[in-house]
Amino acid sequence: MTQVHSVILKIDGVTKLHGQFRALNSISLTINRGEIFGLLGPNGAGKSTLLSILAGSSKPCSGIATFDGTQIQPSNQTLRSRIGLVPQDFAFYEDLTAKENLLFFGQLFGLRGTFLTNKVNEILQIIGLDDGKAHQYSKHFSGGMKRRLNLGIALVHSPDVLMLDEPTVGVDPQSRNRIFEAIKTINALGTTVIYTTHYMEEAESLCNRIAILDHGEIIACDTLKNLLALTQTTVKFSIIEDDQSKEEILIRSIPALKPNILPGSYSLTTHTNPTPDIINLLVNEKIQIINLQMDSPNLEKVFLSLTGRHLRD
Amino acid sequence: MIQSFIIAKKELQLLIRDKLTATVLFALPFAMILILGLLLGEGFGQKSDDLMRISVLNLDKGLGLNNKSWAEHAIDDIVSTPNIKVEIIQGKELADELVKTGKRAAVIIFNPDFSERVNECSFLSKGVNPFHRDGIYLEKLQVSIIKDNKQPATSAIIESVCQIALLRIVMPWMIGKAFEKLGDPEFIELLGKEVSLPIPPSLRLLIPKDKIPLGELLELASGKDIDLAKNYREKVGVGIQTALTGQFKNYNLTGKSWASLTRSINNPETVKTLTTFQNEDGTGILKRGAIRYQILVPSFTVMFAFSLILISGWIFVAEKRQGTFNRLLSTPVRTSSILMGKFLPTIIISLLQIFFLLGLGKLLLGLKIGLSTWSLTDWMIALIILPFATSFCVAASSLFIGILSKNETQLALLSSVPVCLFALIGGCIFPWEMMPDNAKTLAFLTPQGWALDAFREIMPSSFDTTTDFQLIWKSSLVLSIMGFILLSITWVTLGKIRFGNS
Repeated sequence: MTQVHSVILKIDGVTKLHGQFRALNSISLTINRGEIFGLLGPNGAGKSTLLSILAGSSKPCSGIATFDGTQIQPSNQTLRSRIGLVPQDFAFYEDLTAKENLLFFGQLFGLRGTFLTNKVNEILQIIGLDDGKAHQYSKHFSGGMKRRLNLGIALVHSPDVLMLDEPTVGVDPQSRNRIFEAIKTINALGTTVIYTTHYMEEAESLCNRIAILDHGEIIACDTLKNLLALTQTTVKFSIIEDDQSKEEILIRSIPALKPNILPGSYSLTTHTNPTPDIINLLVNEKIQIINLQMDSPNLEKVFLSLTGRHLRD
Repeated sequence: MIQSFIIAKKELQLLIRDKLTATVLFALPFAMILILGLLLGEGFGQKSDDLMRISVLNLDKGLGLNNKSWAEHAIDDIVSTPNIKVEIIQGKELADELVKTGKRAAVIIFNPDFSERVNECSFLSKGVNPFHRDGIYLEKLQVSIIKDNKQPATSAIIESVCQIALLRIVMPWMIGKAFEKLGDPEFIELLGKEVSLPIPPSLRLLIPKDKIPLGELLELASGKDIDLAKNYREKVGVGIQTALTGQFKNYNLTGKSWASLTRSINNPETVKTLTTFQNEDGTGILKRGAIRYQILVPSFTVMFAFSLILISGWIFVAEKRQGTFNRLLSTPVRTSSILMGKFLPTIIISLLQIFFLLGLGKLLLGLKIGLSTWSLTDWMIALIILPFATSFCVAASSLFIGILSKNETQLALLSSVPVCLFALIGGCIFPWEMMPDNAKTLAFLTPQGWALDAFREIMPSSFDTTTDFQLIWKSSLVLSIMGFILLSITWVTLGKIRFGNS
């Protein structure tokens, strides 16, 4: 992942109404150049709406969104060349081959001749649709291949910012990994990536920073580490209770340790991962351990702690 | 503008790959024209005469009454019969061919000796007696009928017509001749021998006989004067004729024609229809071409051109639903270029469809397009301006319907109903000639009506010698204006969708 240099996208107090429904409620955030920024939230949280505003496909009812200091507006044609949008649906022509689709959209972005051909070949390689697949009608593609082609079309004009709206819905793990690899490759080449998903694992594995949306509002926005720090790690373990003095040593060494109902069972909840310290103590004091269970923090827990609901509810 | 061509090229590429749709777009209209043409028959679009056709080959070389051949008299007789028209066939080979191919059920042939044979017909023992129980011996009169065995009913009717006509020709002729014979000296001499009158007693001294033949009596009356005796015999003949005429005064027994014999008056309402054989094989490679296609081709050309609204509109709506349209909108391509990119293919397809139907109509059906008097400008107006204006209106309508419809159901409602209804009102389904008088006025409320009016002008269905180019210009202008208005609305709407999305 490339190093973060400066703000490329800024959203300030953006509100979007769909009739009476408030899809976005005074959203403010910044996205830095070169980062992979995750928009995480349950279905209907407002992720796609926010993405459409950032892509210039939709106008906010209030607030402002800027791209490199320029206000994003649907009428601003030049910004469109700097943005690559991967919609949630398959948005390509199924009766064209993968290569023809890429050539077509490349031409619409003004690419011509050898440059276009080379660029298309490069993209086909990145999304893993080179070889014979490039010349197959896309209607014959598997779901995963279609997702990759959907991604490739957004990359053909080398956008500064790539926006992906849940690009892995309904794909097999192999294709998902391919997509991740492609995103990482593109990001490594300097493209800023905005990735919306409701899969916390995807956000955790890809994103530098993550904004968690719920009911049209950003309830948290930070690096993964800082977000995870919003919740605590719980470690539960059991020892052979043959020596009362061992228990005293444990409690003395780790004052936060709480005995459980079962004899010889303990639990510890901290903001940092206490497992190494516990294991070191047990080894040093020669205390025999029966089992150890760690409940690590994740974005699901973060979301749960922030909203009181599960992410997939 | 380049982007428009890129989008248009892609649209056409997609269409070509969808071979079924491409085939249906071009082949279906022509198939419909062909099938409907066959179903409707020759009379479609023409005024029906409802007359039975009797085909006649006249080879008669002789002369009959009034310096006309008896065959001409027979033809006159048939053609004067109500609900019958006579078609003169030119030559025996053609007659044989027509019957052999089933195009005619039967052909009546008056052979070269027909008049001579009729002239020979007489009640006299030396004369030809053509009669038999059921009518006339055709062979005795040198009349033949070649028949198609597959059409026995029709050929039987034709033979009956022939029999009746010959009876009406031969019978009065024979009666007339026989009546004339009443005045002949030979007849009176015969009569004089056959008829004997009683001698009154007071005259028996002079003529010592109980009875005396009429002939001898006339000789006695003439005083043995031969000339006077002949004169008396003639007077008897005339007397007999006059007496018979007076006795049968409703008939002219010397008339020698049916009309004279029966003292009938011609029915003024009877229209005599005498034609010569016209080859109705049809024109073009298929030999199916006929006048009805002059109506069907323009009607279906216009109807199917406007049915593209449904197809193009459907593709447009499907693209909106599939998300590719939004992807197009997310590119830096101008809205007008996107619109043109969608607009051009419909125009091209519509033009191709129009030229395909006209071309195939010309090639296979021998469709008559234009007049020999047309200049190059006229041809350009007819084959460039009008098709382009029509296609322009079609393409604009399809985008208009496509942009208005949010889904395929809406599109089906918004396009199919008006397209079908307008085609009906516009005269594409029923020719205006078959519709009420005010229908044509109503037709001009529809683009189909304007287009069809102009297309029919370039494909004249009758023996037109002029073309109303002012009408073609007017129609083209109206279609262009309609298209321009719809296209403008579509452009504004698309701009709102793209930039005014709030």
